[in-house]
Parts: sequence; C-alpha cells; structure tokens
Amino acid sequence: MRRVAVSGIGVISPLGNDESSFLESLALGRSGIGRLDGRFPERMTCRIGGAVAFDGAALFPNAKLRMLDRVSQFALAASMQCVANAALDFAAIDRSRAGVFLGTGLGGAHATDDGYFTLYAENSDRVKPFTVLMAMANAPASWIGIEYGLTGPNLTFSTACSSSTVAIGEAARRIATGEADVMIAGGAEAPLNFGTMKAWDALKTLATEDKDDPAASCKPFSKNRSGLVLGEGAAVVVLEEWEHMRRRGGRARGELVGYGLTTDAAHITRPTIEGQASAMVKALESAGIEANGIDYINAHGTATAANDAVETAAIKSVFGERAYRIPVSSTKSMHGHLLGAAGALELIATLLALEKEMLPPTINLRSPDPECDLDYVPLKARAAHGIRTALSSSFAFGGTNAVLVARAAR
Amino acid sequence: MTTFERLQALLGKDFDLPLEKLERDARLEDLEIDSLRMIEIMFSVEDAFKITIPAEQAELKARLTTFGDLVDYIDGLVAGKPGAP
Repeated sequence: MRRVAVSGIGVISPLGNDESSFLESLALGRSGIGRLDGRFPERMTCRIGGAVAFDGAALFPNAKLRMLDRVSQFALAASMQCVANAALDFAAIDRSRAGVFLGTGLGGAHATDDGYFTLYAENSDRVKPFTVLMAMANAPASWIGIEYGLTGPNLTFSTACSSSTVAIGEAARRIATGEADVMIAGGAEAPLNFGTMKAWDALKTLATEDKDDPAASCKPFSKNRSGLVLGEGAAVVVLEEWEHMRRRGGRARGELVGYGLTTDAAHITRPTIEGQASAMVKALESAGIEANGIDYINAHGTATAANDAVETAAIKSVFGERAYRIPVSSTKSMHGHLLGAAGALELIATLLALEKEMLPPTINLRSPDPECDLDYVPLKARAAHGIRTALSSSFAFGGTNAVLVARAAR
Repeated sequence: MTTFERLQALLGKDFDLPLEKLERDARLEDLEIDSLRMIEIMFSVEDAFKITIPAEQAELKARLTTFGDLVDYIDGLVAGKPGAP
C-alpha cells in the first residue's frame, strides 16, 4: 500500500474561514455558535447554530454565483484554500489520476428550501431555473472537479453525519491502492435554513438555547447536555501519494494511516457501542497500530444524550484502562455539528492538534455526566508535547461508523 | 430606456457580460450564452419585462442567433402583451 499525505487544508467554518482563525479559535476555546437570523424567526423554536460569516459575491462572479447553492460556495471556497495551501499546480500533474470525493448530508438544502418557499409560501410557480443543479447532492463535488479539470473519479458520499469521514477514507484508499495520485476530499453542508432547521427540531435532537450564554449551548459529555447544535461550512483537504508530494516539493500537513468503516445495522438513529467500537478497531488494524499507539481522540461528541454515553463506552471497550489516559475532545462544542462536513472539519482539527502539539478543548464542560468519565480536555486547550497519532471518529444516523487515524508529519 | 438598453443593463449586472460587447450583431455563442445560460436569462427577462416567454429551447435556439435577435424577440413579446400600445 502507498502512503497517503495530507498536503493541503481548507476551512470554511463557524470558527473562521481560514486555517489560522480556525486554529486560533480551537486554541482559545472560542465558540462559533450563536443566535441565527433567517426567515420566520418567530416560528423558530431553536434559533441557535454555528453560522459562517461568508460573502459569496466576494469570491465568485455574479453569473457563477447564481448557479451555486450556499453548500457549493462553501465547498469551492474551501477547495481553493486547500489547493493553494498544497501549492499544487494541476496543470503540471496527470489530472486523469486526480479526483474529488466529497461528503454532504443534504446537498443544496437552501435551493430546495427556496424552491418550496416560492411554491408554497409565495404561491408562485416561478421556481428558479437552476434549482435542480443547485440542489443536487453532487453539485459541490462536481464544481470542484470542474474548477480544476480533474477527470479521475468524482463521487459524493451521503452517510449523514459520517459523510465526509467516509469521503476522506475512501479517497485515501484510492491513493493507497494506486488508483489515484491526488484526491481533493472532504465535506460541505449548509443546513441553516428554515425548512431544514424545522425538520431537525421536529426530531427533538437540537440543543436548548443556553439562557445565559447562547454561545455555550452545545455541551458534549455534560450532565446537562441537551442536544446538538447545527453548524454550516466546508472542510476540504488535498490527499496525495507521499512520493508524488515529495517529488513536486510539497509539504505534508499530516499522514492518513488508518480508516475503519462499519455499520450498526440496528436502528436508524440510536448508536451502538459495538458498532462504534468496531469502527475504531478496524481503523487501528488498518493503521497497523496497537491501542496504546493513540495519543488523542477527536470524538464524534454530538452532545446528544445517546451519543456521548455510547461513545464513551465504545472508547473504553476498545482502549480498556488506557481509555482514561487518552485525551478525548469534542470540538463540536465550539463549531457545532456540521453534519456531512463534520468529520472533515474534525479531521483538520485533529491534524492541527498533531502539528501544533495542542489538544483542542471540549468547552462548556463544567459538570460531567457520571457516565462520561474520560479526560475530555474540559474548557481549555492543553499543550501535548510529542503527540504523534490520533483518531477522528464520526458516527451517523443510518448507522455508518467511520474512523480515521492520522499521524503527525514531523 | 429602450429594450436594447434595458437588456444590456440586465445582462451586464446579473451575468457579468461586458456592455461594450453587447452590440446588435454580437453572436450569442460568442457571448458564451449557451442553452443553459439562455434559460436563466429568459427567466430574468420574464421578471424584468413582465412578460411570459412561450418558446421552447429548441425554438429559441433556432430563432435567436445574435443579441439583436434577442432584443427584437423581447420587443415583440412586450408589444403583444395585453395593454400594450
């Protein structure tokens, strides 16, 4: 198997629209969650989310912008960042051996919502002509492929909250097996519109707004956690065969060394300890490392009642007594749950943690749930000299469990 | 404002087309107005001129070769609108 480098990073997130502001927020334990604007505010029972401050008009010409759902704008913006970060000149490489794997849960949810608004709220039949092209789930990946002329495989993975972890894992596998040399991989999501928010709210999984501090509403592993907080954005990386990167003078931001994928096949929402644990075990096996080789876990940590207790138990079942000595944090406490982009954003948080030897915290964790008794790096980031290898986990509605193992490049 | 000027302004603003290129004899394909772009332009034109464009894509493609053809086609629809002079 060939080695897979991460040679570029791109971030559009509630914690900032570039790598350095994202890192700064992680290091300072700063929340990107707050009150949302939008249609029908009086009808929103949940009005908090992790919104991205983003001006598409500053990045794209009008004619193009009119064809791009917010999710595709995020995906393109993040891909431009990661390609620039990789200093990759696609004209100089074989683009038939380069492709795009992206994850998204909902695709162009704003275009869908706008179309229905026109039809049902405005009682008009004038649905925008590009609604289909904006709403289709593969639009973000397709636009990236078009942007760079990449004629290798272009796939969109939709496995709810693990979509982008799957996309990155599958892309890494294509490189490892020799089918591709360069893959742009990650995820994008833009769920902060009225229809999508109401649908999530109806499922009774969204967090209650913290009365004193809306920014502190997402409380993973806390006794008083009340659910997840939706976030939007895109996180995209350049994956590259190690020697390919070296030959062109690229710089590794980290290495992907393991990927585990399993399915609960048990319940459409309720996670299982066995399912989550088996994905971690498979990831360790594919990395060829023992459980004691893991220095940090970026948890799925949604702050739902079900996930955090199950995930804690799953980590204990894989790592045994050592589980208590591995720092585990949920950066969702700061950026919220980006659904199909969550895993990719958290992998980037993991890569930055390894590169900077810094553990991002689980903020808002003041009173832990007795069932959640690991070291969740509460409240404040922590220095972690010498950390080398980390897990990033994503567990999804539908039961698809995906775990990546990343290693520091130094 | 004439239809020519209104259409120039619309295409310039919403579709980034340079005004100086929007001459009567400019070919639509040279302006990079393909069938997909034409659908969107027609949608905007319907809104801006308060008209309904009845033609299907194939017919539009056959009838409209230049920017001037497009101006004349819209003028015809505006003139045929109920209440038009």
